[in-house]
Amino acid sequence: MVNDLKRKRGTDVAPQTKRLHQQQHDAGDEAEAYSSAAESDASMGSASDHEANGDDWHGLDGDQDTKQDQTNDHTGHSGSHIVKPPTGEELRKIKDATDLYRSTFFKLQIDALLPNVRPKYNHAQPLEAFLLALHKLLMNMPSVSPQHPLHASRTLSQKGVAVPYVRPLPTEDTNWKVSFEKPSEIVLAGSWATKTAVKAKDGAKYEVDVAVEMPPALFQEKDYMNARVFQKRAYYLAVVASAIAENAGLPCELFYESTSGDPRRTTLVLRSKCDGSPTDFSKLNAQIRIVPYIGQSPIPLQRLSPARSNIKTAAQEDESREDPTPLYNTTFMLMTTPKSHLLSIHHLKQSVPAFVDALALLRVWANQRGYGVGSRMCVRGFEGKGMWWASILDLVVNGEEPPPVSLGKGGTKRKPLGKGLSSYQLFKAALDFLARHNFHEEGVFVKAKDGHRFPPGSYSSHEAVFVDSTSSVNLLADVPISSLDLLRYDAQATLEALDHSSISEDPFQTVFLKEHRDMFARFDIVVRVDLSSAEMRKASAHSVADHGSVYNALMTTLVSTLRRGLGNRAKAIAVLHPTSDIRPLSQAQPANPSVVHIGIILDSEHAFRLVDHGPPAEETESERTKQFREFWGEKAELRRFKDGSIVESVVWEVKNSDERAHIPSMIVRHLLKRHFSIGGDAVQTWQSQYDGLLRVPQSISSTYQTTGAAVGFKAALTAFDTLVKHIKALDDAFPLAVLNVSPACPALRYTDVFVPVAVPVPARSALPKSASYLPAMEIIIEFEKSARWPDDLRAIQKIKLAFFERLATVLMGAVKGLHASVVLGERPERLEIQDEAALDIVTQEGWAFRARIWHDREATLLDRIINDQPHLPKALRRTASGEDARERQAALQAHEVYTRRFIHAPRHHRAIAALCHRFAAFAGTVRITKRWFASHWLLRGHVSEEAVELLCAYVFLRTSAPALGETAASQATSAPSSKERGFAQVVEFLKDWDWTTGLSVPLDNADQASAAAPALRQRLLATLHGLCPNAVVARRITALAKATWECLKGMETGASSVKRIFHHPVDHYDFVVELKTALSPRYYQQLDADPSVWTSKNKYANAVDKDSSPSIMPGFDPVSMLYDDLKFVYTDTVLLFYDPLGGNRIGAVWQPALRTPRPFRVLGGFSSTPVPKIEAKAKEKEKGLVIVNERAIFAEIQRIGSTLTERVVPRSA
Amino acid sequence: MPTKTKRTATTASEGSSSNYSLPTSVSGFTVLPITYSASTTHVLYARAHSVPKHRDAKGKQKEKTISLPEGRTLFLVNIPPDATERELTMLFKSCGTVERVVFSTGRGGASQSEEILENDEESEESEAEGAAGSQDEGDEEDADSRPKKKRKVAQPEGPQVVPLPSPSLRTLRRTGHTAYVVFLDASSLERALKPPQKPYPWPVDKETPLGLAHYAALYSSLRPPLDIVRAHADSWMEAFEFEQAKKRQESKYHKGEAIVDEDGFTLVTRGGAYGKTLGGGIGVASKRFQEEQAGTASKRRRKDKKEKKEKEAFYAFQIHEKKRKGTFFASTML
Repeated sequence: MVNDLKRKRGTDVAPQTKRLHQQQHDAGDEAEAYSSAAESDASMGSASDHEANGDDWHGLDGDQDTKQDQTNDHTGHSGSHIVKPPTGEELRKIKDATDLYRSTFFKLQIDALLPNVRPKYNHAQPLEAFLLALHKLLMNMPSVSPQHPLHASRTLSQKGVAVPYVRPLPTEDTNWKVSFEKPSEIVLAGSWATKTAVKAKDGAKYEVDVAVEMPPALFQEKDYMNARVFQKRAYYLAVVASAIAENAGLPCELFYESTSGDPRRTTLVLRSKCDGSPTDFSKLNAQIRIVPYIGQSPIPLQRLSPARSNIKTAAQEDESREDPTPLYNTTFMLMTTPKSHLLSIHHLKQSVPAFVDALALLRVWANQRGYGVGSRMCVRGFEGKGMWWASILDLVVNGEEPPPVSLGKGGTKRKPLGKGLSSYQLFKAALDFLARHNFHEEGVFVKAKDGHRFPPGSYSSHEAVFVDSTSSVNLLADVPISSLDLLRYDAQATLEALDHSSISEDPFQTVFLKEHRDMFARFDIVVRVDLSSAEMRKASAHSVADHGSVYNALMTTLVSTLRRGLGNRAKAIAVLHPTSDIRPLSQAQPANPSVVHIGIILDSEHAFRLVDHGPPAEETESERTKQFREFWGEKAELRRFKDGSIVESVVWEVKNSDERAHIPSMIVRHLLKRHFSIGGDAVQTWQSQYDGLLRVPQSISSTYQTTGAAVGFKAALTAFDTLVKHIKALDDAFPLAVLNVSPACPALRYTDVFVPVAVPVPARSALPKSASYLPAMEIIIEFEKSARWPDDLRAIQKIKLAFFERLATVLMGAVKGLHASVVLGERPERLEIQDEAALDIVTQEGWAFRARIWHDREATLLDRIINDQPHLPKALRRTASGEDARERQAALQAHEVYTRRFIHAPRHHRAIAALCHRFAAFAGTVRITKRWFASHWLLRGHVSEEAVELLCAYVFLRTSAPALGETAASQATSAPSSKERGFAQVVEFLKDWDWTTGLSVPLDNADQASAAAPALRQRLLATLHGLCPNAVVARRITALAKATWECLKGMETGASSVKRIFHHPVDHYDFVVELKTALSPRYYQQLDADPSVWTSKNKYANAVDKDSSPSIMPGFDPVSMLYDDLKFVYTDTVLLFYDPLGGNRIGAVWQPALRTPRPFRVLGGFSSTPVPKIEAKAKEKEKGLVIVNERAIFAEIQRIGSTLTERVVPRSA
Repeated sequence: MPTKTKRTATTASEGSSSNYSLPTSVSGFTVLPITYSASTTHVLYARAHSVPKHRDAKGKQKEKTISLPEGRTLFLVNIPPDATERELTMLFKSCGTVERVVFSTGRGGASQSEEILENDEESEESEAEGAAGSQDEGDEEDADSRPKKKRKVAQPEGPQVVPLPSPSLRTLRRTGHTAYVVFLDASSLERALKPPQKPYPWPVDKETPLGLAHYAALYSSLRPPLDIVRAHADSWMEAFEFEQAKKRQESKYHKGEAIVDEDGFTLVTRGGAYGKTLGGGIGVASKRFQEEQAGTASKRRRKDKKEKKEKEAFYAFQIHEKKRKGTFFASTML
């Protein structure tokens, strides 16, 4: 980049400059994509035109360029700057870009992003006109004399304006009065005034805050009590609203909006009407918000310390107790701050040059993660927190206010940073603060000018404390601590992404451009809760009064209850819902979303614990015990544990490992039921739907149970170990000792879609024919080295046969009930030099293995055939022809098989098995992902199982630290802890993945010998070819992933279900071969298999099944065999797809070129029929034209499939 | 090339089989429609087999033509993928007695290599035919569906190999491939090339089933009884060793084969450029060659050293000089 910049300046190297521009555009496009989501066409209008025009827009370093041009103009060398060497100024900039940013390219990207997330201030002319008119109107408003609040509201409601009084609502016998005086001051406050506004998500408008000071004459000293000041504020707002509504000179739409759903924080929103008048500011995509505030007033602010109680409820008066009302007090204090905040931000802007940019970056980052406003899922508690984001930077730059000397602890822990930092450095410092600081443990007090206003101790009733630089208000008062947990988690993940340059993606994408609000890829468990029937178990009037509304009080309790209940099982719990929306003036109270989502990020170490311990039995009647019992209800019980202790505890009962993954959601359900009486049907989770994908139908699994089948990956591994023991015990019977037996099969590494099952041989007849499939698990036997092997490939294969025969005989003699048979190969014809032979072993319990022998001499011999003149340079080698060429072809093929089967497969197996142990959710993710690929007819036929495993591995490993030393601690923060999230992340990745670029999975991070690392990388490249055999399939994967992603998004709103993701549409296939369901031994594996296929007996009850003798055929899958045959026969004619997991249809797409007439060729490679002469007449006469003979091919397929095929259905046109 | 183009025009309307009329010939091939069922028609392209002239020079080619006699061999294109010899014989029963059927492409490697050979657009047909012909060795196996190894040891003197069971299963081939049908006499060929009045129906051989039965049979045939496997492997190895021994005896030179005397010493001989001696024993390159190699190698090394010597920007004065010239800055920045 540096070099580009320099050349651009130096001489006329046009291509270089062009490339620079190209990159600028790339970055610009991305930024554009970011903005386009939020922007309607109309509002962008001329602005985007301006940018789309390449000549006009100077892109990334546009500012820089123009500045330089200006300086040149000043010095009068504007014409000669092309030949000038770089000035010191420029050099410094270039240097800064490398030193102060992550990279120069990163800086360019940031520079491209920033203009797109800011309002276009140059279109602000109409807005200013509007504001001027507004100011005039407000300043000329007539006063309203004091009157009774209800009376006053009646007058206003006649005009269609409701007064948004807060609870407790005024009654007839209230003894205070409301009145109106024109504002004593009007200030343009907030982000618009300081030019720090940043575009929000979901098309939310920029906020132009107009702070209107309510004159002190309206208030009395005691107004801080019992929300009286809020009532007066509400009336003030309503009067302003009605005045604006009546005034014809200000054409705008008026709404109320309550920040965070808190009626005390209701504001007035003015939106421009799109009428093209001089005051029409709709192009700006902004809205004006009128915020009444208190400047000078007779109210003593020291009464509003967070520890004071300012609401007197009836209950309290009785007990003469004073519970503090922290939220009430904070909300009050927020009414006094607009002006002081404006000043402090202005001051920051002056003293820290990069402040504005850094704040924009921070807010873009936060908005992309839902910490802001938006109509989609946003994290609760971050509305109207603009000041907080700015204060974080304030803290980073200015440091903390030391605690008062009286407390004894002098000095601060956090050292302030320099003011000259770049925007990126400030951003990263802020992230660093967010990632490290634990709000639960200690509060933060930003350096204030006048020291603490309230003693730090008085904030003890707040969950999280972050006091701003005016020291008047805790900005995090209404933010649930669990939301901050999530924020911390996100900050950690982002820092990881930024710090690990090993990842192949550009971190800029993930940090700023990618939206992270999609719940299913973000949270391990998503719970959808319908709150309409919610009722608090212990509703406290005080808490409701403090929160301002029942809903907010409920939400706070809900979050804290869940947080307590889940404990260290969860890293973060977030309540997600759309942020508060505008409402018409006639509606006094804000409406709250009745459906919220709860997202939980699990800590996989603790999440699936079976027991929660409480206090020991000795303190039976203590407060703690009572609390514990109260919290857990009937679930709490006294238990005696192995170590002899008797403890109050909660035990979660699970039947199998699937259910164990449900423990966190079980806890959530239990707590919601107990504390909020939210019933089972109002709580929705998706886990069991996903589990259902990986399970065989009920009737089949019950058959397994009755036949005493061994089920599970563990059982399969045990069976494997037993077999190895048996084989090793036979050492004397062989001329060569068995060196190693290694597994190479998904069932033996936890990643098979279905849990492996062994049905004892005699009991197999109990299984229906369509569930008789017995997968054969591949294992590889390695004998000790010996020079006695023949040095001939054909002979080696024969020796293998002899070995297998010996092994089979000896094994059958040694182990009772074991059956072994030698398999010659998979096809009718033998390939002489390729490894084909195998040994099928079926154990007594019913496990089936397929053993192969690895002899490493084969590789050398094959290499010799492939390249018999390694000493000659490539150009000098004679090209093989005839017999040699054919042999070379065969050798190449054999070599490929050899490498895949004996080198890569065991190595891959080891790496994946290690990953399964490292990440609890990995195996589940792989299984779901495989199911997904299978049900979209891609697995096996087009995408290998290994490729799917690697894809999933990538998702788990992409941000993990490359440090090899710490194995357990190096787990990536963002690695999913549940299979559902893992799957969603895989889909998310696939949807955006540019498959042409390839992928590198750092598998060497697994506890692998580092020697294996380079080979694994190589392996990845090999399977990538397997993953993207051709562009058609790759594009198909992308399209399917996109559709799936949409479906996942739909699940948020309840519009779609998990099953829908796995339903494959068949409209786009040119024809579909339908197979007979009953004949496939794997039919039971199909997603929605119909049990009647196997339960309904033969038509005639007395008819004996022709082949009722259950011959055990491990690995016999006629559908796959038919698919393979068809694929071979019609390689160049059609592209075939099918679902290997019990699919009963094969979809096909014609090669597009074949459907147009083409000249006849002898080796055309497809079944053709001549085009009728009439059409062909005009064409050349020499070569007759032919076209693919579709109907004949249908007939052929029907014939090849014979009894298997039901029919061939061409697509109806 | 037979002259069928003339006939095309006259009999264009005759070959109507489906809803539209098929031309009777395409690029010199007679079009033979075959009905799979009442509504579906498959199309075979037929031509009399002729040996390409320019290939006659090659001895190998000449040898091949003997098995496909010109004049009574029909060259067929686009035969059904599941066609068997029997089915083709039955198809042409009405034309005359079929001596044998030779499929030109099997599975796997053979067809691939054919594609490699077949790249000349102009002489496409003849090339293809030639290429197909050159594969007769493999084809004959296909035809009688016997593995290659048996033929290799079919010489009477070696030990006999016990064959693995080879059931009569259908072999599926790639779609659109070719075959030769050899008739007993030339008149049958002419009859076969005449466009038929009515399309032939495709005879399906019921004895070699397809579908599930085929796969089940294949599955069990691939798992033969253990004693047969054993007998086969043992006898094959015996035959292999016999062959090896025979070869060793026959060859004058025992190249690369270590000659070990009674005391266990291995004979090492010098000779040839790369130690490729013609006599027995382990070869080592000749002394002169080794010296030459060593000489050139060392010479090259010396040259390398010389070039390396000139270092840029090593001494302080060089750096200063460069800076003064302004080139240093550029070189570090670029």
